[in-house]
Amino acid sequence: MDITISNLKKTFGDKTAVDISQYTIHSGDMLGLVGNNGAGKSTLFRLMLDLIKADQGNVLMGTTDVSTTEEWKDWTGAFIDESFLIDYLTPDEYFHFISTITGMSEQELESTLDRFDHFMAGEVRGQQKLIRNLSAGNKQKVGIVAAMLLHPKVLILDEPFNFLDPSSQNAIKKLLQDYNRETGATILVSSHNLTHTIDICPRIALLESGHIIRDITNNDGSALAELEEYFQ
Amino acid sequence: MKTYTLHKLLNKHDELKDRRHPMFEKNRFIRFIAYFMVAYYAAILLFLGVMLPQGMGDPHTGVAAFHVFDSGFYIILITDFWLRFLLQETPAQQAKPYALLPVRQSFLMKRYLIKAALSTGNLFWGFMLVPFAIIGVLPHLGWSGALAWLLGYWLMIVANSYMYLLTRAACTRHILWFLLPVAIHGGVLCAAFLPDTNLMRSICTIFIYGLAQWQLWAYAIPAALIAIGFWCNYRLQRSIVYEDVAKKEDVKVTKTSRMAYLNRFGAMGEYLKMEIKLRMRNKQVKIQFITGVGAMCLLSGIMYFTPAYDGEFMTSFICLYNYIVLGMMTLITIMGYEGNYIDGLMSRRESILSLLTAKYYFNSLLLLVPITINIPLMVAGKISLWMNLGYLFFTVGVLYPIIFQMAVYNKDTLPLNNKLTGKQSNITQTIVSFAILFVPIGIEKVSLFAFGTHWGYAVMILLGILGIATHHIWLRHIYRRLMARRYENMEGFRASRP
Repeated sequence: MDITISNLKKTFGDKTAVDISQYTIHSGDMLGLVGNNGAGKSTLFRLMLDLIKADQGNVLMGTTDVSTTEEWKDWTGAFIDESFLIDYLTPDEYFHFISTITGMSEQELESTLDRFDHFMAGEVRGQQKLIRNLSAGNKQKVGIVAAMLLHPKVLILDEPFNFLDPSSQNAIKKLLQDYNRETGATILVSSHNLTHTIDICPRIALLESGHIIRDITNNDGSALAELEEYFQ
Repeated sequence: MKTYTLHKLLNKHDELKDRRHPMFEKNRFIRFIAYFMVAYYAAILLFLGVMLPQGMGDPHTGVAAFHVFDSGFYIILITDFWLRFLLQETPAQQAKPYALLPVRQSFLMKRYLIKAALSTGNLFWGFMLVPFAIIGVLPHLGWSGALAWLLGYWLMIVANSYMYLLTRAACTRHILWFLLPVAIHGGVLCAAFLPDTNLMRSICTIFIYGLAQWQLWAYAIPAALIAIGFWCNYRLQRSIVYEDVAKKEDVKVTKTSRMAYLNRFGAMGEYLKMEIKLRMRNKQVKIQFITGVGAMCLLSGIMYFTPAYDGEFMTSFICLYNYIVLGMMTLITIMGYEGNYIDGLMSRRESILSLLTAKYYFNSLLLLVPITINIPLMVAGKISLWMNLGYLFFTVGVLYPIIFQMAVYNKDTLPLNNKLTGKQSNITQTIVSFAILFVPIGIEKVSLFAFGTHWGYAVMILLGILGIATHHIWLRHIYRRLMARRYENMEGFRASRP
């Protein structure tokens, strides 16, 4: 599923949060979005998910303008922050809720969740704890698993490595790479962790003040030097 | 930092907190309405303060107006107590933001408790009491007596404010503390309305007269209440701040239930489960529900056991109130709780429509509570079966569709489970609540006048059935309008998240 950004602009007062004239993320791409605080990464994701209104321009998923229909929500999974989680449910209830409202069978849910067992490390499922009472890392895991639960064609994750312990960071890296390879899904990941981003993303977009200032092809970690130089 | 400087700084914070409240910042019209409402209530009190001294006394028996007025003193205290739930913050709520800063909690707590006592809100009754004192007390007791009378009222209102703060704080520990004032006030009202006795009225009259005469024993009562209230609040509110910061309940294991009986309804069943869990697992929502049922029981109890509400208007009001109160409390702020996870809901196709539909079904099912409560009233002949059915159908089919419109406009997130939350009043919601409580009674009266008793209620039932039958249409219409305003609403929800 191609994602096409055209003349997309969003400002907050005097500050330009996003200003991208043309950018295409091709079907099956695994794109890393990097940039300093305030560069516009989260705002761009929110615009792509139609969670905030663009001042001008649009985002197309395939041929669908995300701001005009809801069709794209069927094939898009995302986790930006805790506002995606219904925190008075337990993780099991939350997964069950998502699977049921989207017509996924109980068996399919169980088999899908089994694939995430290593990532969740026995700390999420069967806990009888409400999501709000989980640690930040486990909340992050719930959000990521929920986003991937429905086998989306487009997966958008904002700072997925945040709050995770090193084992879970490695586990999510492997999960994302496998998922991209097996399903051909388009995956967008933003992160401040250059090493992880370079490890998993063959393409990296560098954002500064809302503009994509570099579109870097990353072959076997070739982008590291360029990014390290920028972030000096 | 010197104490004076700290006071000055905290005063500045208090001022900014009100001025920068998201609701006030965004809507000047709402701010205007808020001021207008305050002025309106002040004018009503002023009117009462001027008029009551002229109508209450009896020169033939020598009973002065203030004696009659004082005999109903408990009504002012009870009204004052419950109105505080709408407006007044607790010292724990005010002190919490400073809990982890190098400011002594003892200092903060004393400051906010003293501030609560000296609050101008405690002088609001003065709009009625001052003119009453000038017209109704001064001619009988002189300046000294009138001043003492006013001072006595003020001291009792301050004591009342401490009792409210104590109740509010205790409720954050356990919701059942809420029953204490309900029981006390219920007992007082029952005692006041007991036939063939003037006990409550006599006690009030003697007590206030004692205050007006500068009697030491009379002043000892408010003094003791204020001292006890201060000390208890000081201890309780401090410990609540610590408990909230430490998030003690985080270790709790939750009783989970699959509610399998709802699985047969598929996706709708899941949204219904969510509605049930929303109420069972979140303190604020739970308090709201219990308050609604408590108020319903209290009013219905008074109606059942006393002739106080036997008038035509009150009969209609209680019947309507019982049906609408639960829906009104939760649906007026509809989407407010969902504001906490609105981004997640918005990223699923039509999930808001399913959620609204589930809310409609759930709140309609919830009417089993008032139906049960109204049965004894019907058996006792206090309300008729026709009236009962008329308001039941009118609520589900007409009033709910009206209240559900708030889903389009609400954009303030409500805290789900925070023990210490700030003010949440919203004037638009208050106005709609009043309209929902009183307009239907007008419609009932017009309908009865036009069509006679049975046909009048039949019209209300028919209107209700029409609304129920078309619920998919009007819910989808609300959903479309909500989606058209989604950016503005989501922005509001994000900005007001606790």
